[in-house]
This record gives sequence, structure tokens and C-alpha cells, in this order.
Amino acid sequence: MMQYASLLIALPLFSAFLVPLIKRAGKKVILYYLSLVTLIQTGIAAWVFKEVYTSGNPIIVIAGGFKPPVGINLYIGHFAALFILIIAIVSFFMTVFSIKAIDVEPIDKYAMLFLLLMLGATGMIATGDIFNLFVFMEITAISAYALTGYNKTGEASEAAMKYIVLGGIGSSFFLVGIALLYGSLGTLNLAQIAMLASKINPTVAQAALTLLVFGLAVEAELFPLNAWAPDAYQASPHPVTVMFSAFVVKAGIYAMIRIVYLFKDTQAFMGILNLLLILGTLTVIIGELSALRQTNVKRMLAYSSIAQIGLIAVGFGVATPQAVDAAVFHMLNHAIVKTLMFLAVGYVAVKFGSPQIENFRGLGKRMPLTAFTITVGAISIVGIPLFNIFWSKFKLLLAALQVGKTGIVALILGASLVEAVYYFRLLHLMWFEEGKGEKVEEDLTLGIIMLLLVALIVVIGVYPDFVWGIVQKASADLYNVAQYVKNVPLLQGVSP
Amino acid sequence: MISAYYFGAISLILIGLYAVLTKRNLLKILVGLSIMETGVNLLLISVGYVSGRTAPILTEGATPQTTVDPIPQALVLTAIVIGVATTALALTVAINLYEKYKTLDIEKIRGLRG
Repeated sequence: MMQYASLLIALPLFSAFLVPLIKRAGKKVILYYLSLVTLIQTGIAAWVFKEVYTSGNPIIVIAGGFKPPVGINLYIGHFAALFILIIAIVSFFMTVFSIKAIDVEPIDKYAMLFLLLMLGATGMIATGDIFNLFVFMEITAISAYALTGYNKTGEASEAAMKYIVLGGIGSSFFLVGIALLYGSLGTLNLAQIAMLASKINPTVAQAALTLLVFGLAVEAELFPLNAWAPDAYQASPHPVTVMFSAFVVKAGIYAMIRIVYLFKDTQAFMGILNLLLILGTLTVIIGELSALRQTNVKRMLAYSSIAQIGLIAVGFGVATPQAVDAAVFHMLNHAIVKTLMFLAVGYVAVKFGSPQIENFRGLGKRMPLTAFTITVGAISIVGIPLFNIFWSKFKLLLAALQVGKTGIVALILGASLVEAVYYFRLLHLMWFEEGKGEKVEEDLTLGIIMLLLVALIVVIGVYPDFVWGIVQKASADLYNVAQYVKNVPLLQGVSP
Repeated sequence: MISAYYFGAISLILIGLYAVLTKRNLLKILVGLSIMETGVNLLLISVGYVSGRTAPILTEGATPQTTVDPIPQALVLTAIVIGVATTALALTVAINLYEKYKTLDIEKIRGLRG
């Protein structure tokens, strides 16, 4: 029964390679096929989520029947179950958006890459093997490079090239990190790495983890390897931008933290935490200040998204149970809010031709529903009470105070202040300035999706306890490495 | 005493990284990436190497004590395939950039502005 969870990997992979067979059927059929596949994926992910959260046990899939470390296992614990569900739901929403937003040919390539992007991110979160993680990361990355350049404009190609170059550097660093770990410990299995972590030379551990962190910093969009991100967000098709922000970056940062925390009881751990704090802080500061100067709203949102990831990295860098809870909560809340924001802004761009800020002047009259959803998203991101992100920022603040890190408190408050400046400027433009043009008809389906996301933002903001309970289980899955090791059925007698 | 293989691998990685960070011609940057990849692959193979042992081919007399570690070799095969895919995609994008901007100089390709 538990083996059905491997469909989360098999279904999108198989479906991706079916796309060429149906490509003659036309654009609409391909996009509806995409919707069908992602809907089924959502169903499977929802079933897995229910199984994991009701039984309290992770689902472990052992590929080919070979126990780890001889074989590769998938580990779907509370964290993976939650985020794989998010990946599936966001992907489904974006297939609906794609029907409106995608008009560049060839649609069949878009559909295949879309499914591979979903597959790669799912695999990064589910896998229990560090080299398999590399493979899934590369599937994600190559799909993302190609989708970034999909629109074929000069800007799209420029953004894709920047991403490819930085991604190539990141991949090399990551592989060298794997080489150091494998050379020292003789294993690639994440659980076994954790078991053996105390035996590794502290200097080698420090070097390996540093390389792995920088390698994953590309996918996780941390400074200094995130220079590609604003360009890629701006240039890629609108549904793809949503996927980048909602889950590709989450897969990257999850992978980073999963690996780092395997070394929780070793000497190297404190040094790596300091690295995370520094990188996260720089990411927040540079992201927020860069957002201030933007006249392209999509690009502004990209910098805002990057800054939120920096906050998440800071939370993981504090590394107390409370801080990890808050960081995971912020991952979840950010995924919801940025899905809404990039969807709404992308929709405006589809209607009016571009996401330049001029097109948002008077939007409240021209597209009132979309303007309303952007308003809710903006207010939430700033961290105002009664919206979901208030809670994750607040809990992050409390976690930092608990360990006396007042610099982080200042960072969070300062970031919110800067966010207030550029978001309220946008809100003012939308509602209080006169725009040219008449009211336009807004799509019912997209409107429903946006309102669903708004409802989720408000419900979590007003009644956070239910989701907070889920989040705490997910973060315990990440934080409690001993339990992770205990859960994985390592083959006895195999020693490196 | 660091092995000559590690030294060679690390040198290739650094040479490739230097090219990526300093060259302005797109194709030279991509060549730099390929050199980095080659260095990483050599490093992975070196990790599994043990002096005096033979190739890890299952034949009569072959045991874990007489062969080098096969796992890094398997990893490298995968990494090579991924490298080929990435390079092919990068060259496609470079062609598209050249068509749009009529140059491969990255200083002149500046369509995206903050």
C-alpha cells in the first residue's frame, strides 16, 4: 500500500514523456491534459498527507526492494507530505492559469518541462539519498532553465543564461561537497550520514557542508548565488514564476537544511549555522532594498520573495525548535501568499501586456477583484495582524528573542518597514490614483483560485492553531534527526 | 600529502571557475563551466581510487579488497549525462542570444534592468 507513494515520482515522469504523443491534438488538449495529471497528483499527495498525519509515521518507499544504503529510499515524513501537497496544488492551479497565460509555441515542450519541474521539486523533498537529491535537483534546474527561456525573447534568453551559469557553478560545488562526504564516510544515504557524522574530521565536515550550502544556495536563492532570480522571475512565463516562488525555492532550502541538520551533534554545526545566519541576513537586506527601486511589479515581487527566503534561512540558522517551527511556518505562509501575488500580478500582465507599475494605476476600478487580492497579499506580507504571515514573522521574532538575538529582531522589523514602503506605494497607486481605460472582465476560474488563496490567508491569520499544529509536526520531522535515523530501515551489517 | 589526482581535479575546477568569473565571451564562459565539470568528475573518481587495485569488473577473483570503489564511477556517469544536457541547453540559449543581440559579449547583453 505504501508503495503507491512512489506514484508521486512515477506519474509526472511517465506523463511528461506521453506529451509528445498527444502534441498533434492541439494546445487546449495539451493544457487540459496537464490539468488532469496535476489534479491526479494532487489527489495522490492528499492521500499521502492523510496517511502520514493520521498514522503519525513516515511513508518510506524502498526502490527495487533493496534496503538503504544499498538501495535508494524515499522518505515522506510530515514535512515532505505537507510540501509535496503544496507542490501538487500549486502546480494544478498553475495549469489552470497556463490556459490563459501561455500562448508561445511549442506548448508540448512547455507541458513536458512543467511536469518535470513538478517532479524534480517533489523528488528533492522526498528522497533519502544525497546523490539522488543531486539528480532531482538537476532535473528541477534544467527544467527551470528551459522554462525561464521559454518565451524566446532576448530578455528570456539573458535570464536563462544567467541562471544556467550560476546553476552550473552551484552544481559543481554541490558535487564536490558530495565527494568530500562520500570520501570521508563511505555512504550516500542521508540517515547513514547522520549516524556516522560524529566520525568525520571537523575540518572536512566544515568544508563539505560549506560547499553543499553554496551549491544549494542557487536553488534556494540565497546571496551571493541568487543574482539570476530577479531576471528569471521577470522573464519567465507567469505560471512558472509562481512555481519558482511557491515551491522550487522551498525544495532548495529544505534540501540545504536537511543536510546541515544531519550534522547537528558535530563540531561543524555551529560554523555552518553562522554561515546560514550571514547569508540569510544579507539576502534579506539586499532583497528588500532592491525591491524599493523597482518599476516592474513582477520584479519587485521577485526581490520581496528572495527577502522572505532570507528570513527563512535566518530562522533555520537560529536552530532552536521554536525557530525551526517558525521557519517552516514561514515557508508555508510564503508559498500561499506569493502564489496569490504572482498569480494576480501575472494576470494583470496578461490583460494589459506587461507588469510595469503604470498598468496598476487605477487597477481598483479596472480589475477590482484582482486589485483586492493583491491588496490582501501585500498587507499580509508586510506582517499585519489577522493575516497569515504576521504569525510566522511574530513566531520568528519570539524565537530570536528567546536566545537573545536582538539583531534578528531588528532585521525582521526593518524588513517589514521597507516592505510597507514599497507595497503601500503600490496599493496607493492601485486605489487612489486615476488610471486610464475602462473596467475589464475578470476570469471567473482565476478569480475563484485567487479568492481561495485569500480565504486561506485570512483563515490562517485568524485561526492559526490548526495549521500551526501541522507545521510543528513538519518541523519536528526536520529537527529531530535521531528519529529520522531510527525510521529509515538501514540494512544491517553493511558498513562503509 | 595530497594526491596528484586531487591536485589535478582541484586545479581544473579553479581554472574553470576563473574562466567563468573573468571571461566576457559567452562561449568561453560555457567552456569554463565544462572545465569545472570535468574537474569535479575527476575528483569523484579519485575519491574511489585505491592504489594498486584493479577496475571494479565482476570477474573471477574480484573482491571488494582487490578493486577500486565502483560507486563514484556510477555517480560520474550520471553527472556526465547531466553535464551534457546542461551544456546543450546553454548552447541553445547562447544561439538565441546571438540572434537577438548580435553579440556574445556579456557586457553588451543587458536587456534586463532593475
